[in-house]
Amino acid sequence: MPYNIIVLIKVIPDLEQIKPNPTTGEIVTDRTPLRLETLSENAIEAAVQLKEKYGGKVFGLIFGKPESAPMLKKAFAMGVDDGIVITGYKGNNPVYTAEVLCGKIKGMQYDLIIAGNQSADTYTGLLPGIISGKLGINLLGNALTIALEERKIRVKSTLEKKIQNLNATLPAVVSVTQETNQPRLPPVMQIMAAGRKQIVTEAAQPQTMTGTLQISNKAPRSERKRQLYEKPEEGIAAVVRAIKEEIR
Amino acid sequence: MIYLSSVLLLIGLLVAVASFLYTLYSLFWNAVKIPEKKIRMKISLPRRIYILIRNVALQGKLFKDLSGGIMHALMFWGFVAFAGYSATFFARGIDPSYELISPGLFKDVIFLTVDIFAIVVIVDVIYAVSRRWILKIPRYQGYNGFEAAFILLLVSVLMVTYYALGVLRMDGASAGIPGAIMEGIPPAFTPVTGFFASLFPAASGSGAVDLYWVLYSIHAIDFLTFLVYIPTSKHLHLVAAPLNVLLSKDTKPAQLTPIDFENQKRFGASDIRDFSWKDYLDFYSCTECGRCTYNCPAFLTGKTLSPRDIIWDLREVVIAQGSKARHSGIEERDKILTPVIGDPISEEDLWSCTTCMACVEQCPVMIDHVEKIVDMRRSLVLNQGKAPKETIETYTNMENYGSPWVNDPSTRGDWAKDLGINILSETQNDDFDILYWVGCVASYDRRNQDIAKSIVSILKKANVKFAILGSEEKCTGDPAKRTGNEYLAQNLATANIETLNRHKVHRVITGCPHCFNSLKNDYKAMGLEMEVIHHTEFINQLVSLGKLDLKSLESDDKEKFTYHDSCYLGRYNKIYEEPRTIIKAVTDNYEEMEMNKSKALCCGAGGGRLWMNETVGTKISHKRMEMADKINATTVVTACPYCMVMLDDARRVMGKEEKMHITDIAEFVASRLN
Repeated sequence: MPYNIIVLIKVIPDLEQIKPNPTTGEIVTDRTPLRLETLSENAIEAAVQLKEKYGGKVFGLIFGKPESAPMLKKAFAMGVDDGIVITGYKGNNPVYTAEVLCGKIKGMQYDLIIAGNQSADTYTGLLPGIISGKLGINLLGNALTIALEERKIRVKSTLEKKIQNLNATLPAVVSVTQETNQPRLPPVMQIMAAGRKQIVTEAAQPQTMTGTLQISNKAPRSERKRQLYEKPEEGIAAVVRAIKEEIR
Repeated sequence: MIYLSSVLLLIGLLVAVASFLYTLYSLFWNAVKIPEKKIRMKISLPRRIYILIRNVALQGKLFKDLSGGIMHALMFWGFVAFAGYSATFFARGIDPSYELISPGLFKDVIFLTVDIFAIVVIVDVIYAVSRRWILKIPRYQGYNGFEAAFILLLVSVLMVTYYALGVLRMDGASAGIPGAIMEGIPPAFTPVTGFFASLFPAASGSGAVDLYWVLYSIHAIDFLTFLVYIPTSKHLHLVAAPLNVLLSKDTKPAQLTPIDFENQKRFGASDIRDFSWKDYLDFYSCTECGRCTYNCPAFLTGKTLSPRDIIWDLREVVIAQGSKARHSGIEERDKILTPVIGDPISEEDLWSCTTCMACVEQCPVMIDHVEKIVDMRRSLVLNQGKAPKETIETYTNMENYGSPWVNDPSTRGDWAKDLGINILSETQNDDFDILYWVGCVASYDRRNQDIAKSIVSILKKANVKFAILGSEEKCTGDPAKRTGNEYLAQNLATANIETLNRHKVHRVITGCPHCFNSLKNDYKAMGLEMEVIHHTEFINQLVSLGKLDLKSLESDDKEKFTYHDSCYLGRYNKIYEEPRTIIKAVTDNYEEMEMNKSKALCCGAGGGRLWMNETVGTKISHKRMEMADKINATTVVTACPYCMVMLDDARRVMGKEEKMHITDIAEFVASRLN
């Protein structure tokens, strides 16, 4: 049977191009190019694979900056059918993010929500759980495989040392890992078709951020000692000493 | 008067010619009706005629394999000479009163040529048999042995019956027989036949006439069988190869045909309709000689890729599906034309290709294997989004960072920050004579940054007013283009062309043959006109103009230098001598490795392979280093950052760090500047 799948797509500043302000230590992201979060690509791939297997539609949901539109187009190219960019993202706050996303999702018909199990910019890993709580639906985390049958979902979930089978009824939230799949390279016809698609944006509701308080995200100061050892044996001994001290 | 022999010969000839022409019609109509790929043919007629004379009449490319080349050339020239005999044989056989060539010295000389070449062909057949079945030349093994044997049998029977008929003619057995030829040719003009005649007692009487007729019939049937068999076998190349050479894209490997994404509906080659008529002619011209495969770096190191099999498999699919597809509507055609990737051509083989052009360089009939392989890669990447995992990551990096690796593009020019040179992304100062295009590898790879610094020191020494783009430079798109991602390659090229135009660049020097080839040839096809020079050419010019004064180092006497040719510099752009001239200007301690210049073994990095894992067989770079080791080279000079990465890595892995150095020609020169 066909399923309506919502995939949560996170757009992050390209971590390779982030630079801290050398004097204040503040992370400067204003001019940092944006990119699709790697785990969101896994989430899109998982959603599109399910659509290809069972039928249905995939809806992509981005909560981010207005500049996120190209990432939604990339998601379209990968096989997402429709989507929206909700603007007004003010930074890392999983409770607020979940509130905005759930506000949108509550008005939609859906069977399954798929998201990355965390994101490379903050690594909180909280969002799938908070969404599951706010919507009152099951969470199946760290899915390696996803199978659907009527209104039931079966997931092989990876834990640190073992894999467990999870079963639930739909609707549900599933989080995926990098091991879940290999995100596809979009065919060029789909890239061009996606390029012609209109991107719908809407402002976040509610607009006031609540939930968590960010204390600091300053880059830690690291002073290099600039010690130079001409002889390898002296250098190696010094490195070993430094590591031992650090461990202690 | 009408003779029974004439009637039978005429019927036989008509049937054979009809069969010959019908098969050809079917094959060539395939090439007209099925292909949808459009190609541009840009070479002038005089150039084409030159290529035809060089590579067909003079058999030029065949001599790249000397012994095989001599064998084939003698067979070819023998057949050309024999054509005069065969034409006369059938003309007089059908109309005994007809003289195709008027009697006289001209005719005598023609038959003298035939008489000499016939024995040459017989000896050649014996040599060919020994090559295939006694010496067991590897490239012949396992390929159409029956067909080769059958053709060699037909050829030898044709020549032996020629001499046998000649001996009987000398004995007078053919006197008065209608259609007998060569009557009246002076014995001095048939010396070989005369020699054979002297070995046997003279034949006479009705037995001799009967024997004449038997041999005459065998000769005629043999020839007609040959005619029928040619277009159904690999000997179709007798017809197709001269045409293929005449219509080739030139002796220089052609650039890949660009894709028009706005107007084309099919990208790359999925089935046989996605090739061009010229590709079909390539398929028909292949004679399975195997020179391509036995020069392919992938094949030579244990991969399953065989360029010969790629061409032959496609030819078989064309023959199997062609006729049906031609006679069907568009919808039916979709069902008849099955994808060629998967079966018979494996994806693994397509990804094994380094696009080094060794196969194309070696092919005597000028088949372009590499463009077909890239076209099939295009189909995988552009239509199905399929590529090796590492390649997909490379694409992502090229999109995000303008380089095949994960590198912050704002740091691209950091290696040059303390060198006091014009970095355009920082200065926007367009007051320079030449742009040094650094390339991704030299910009980010620590080892290759030394080469970039050497190029800078050479340019400074020669007082060249130059600049680099810094963070405004992006990957030229070569790794994307050669792996089939033409879409990404065009996007990168468009961005770079915009940058180059903005800075009004008219002259570029680069140390990377891959960038060199892209800027010089691929970008030119996109409308960018500028002079592009590789650093080997530029340094050679500076040395010859006396702008660089090079000295020998004391250590040069203790070293043995060799030069490793980059495929994209050598086979792609025919730059072989410049680096050698530079090295030899400094030292006499130079020796070539086996497989050099146009036959050079690839380092294994081209065609996007630098960013793919090489897990099957021996690593190509290791094989190349073994060749350097074989001549006890202490320094391998390169002129390509890809080669540097591959060979330097091979040197370390193989434990030859102490014994052997890899250096770029720029480093070689920079360390010897006076």
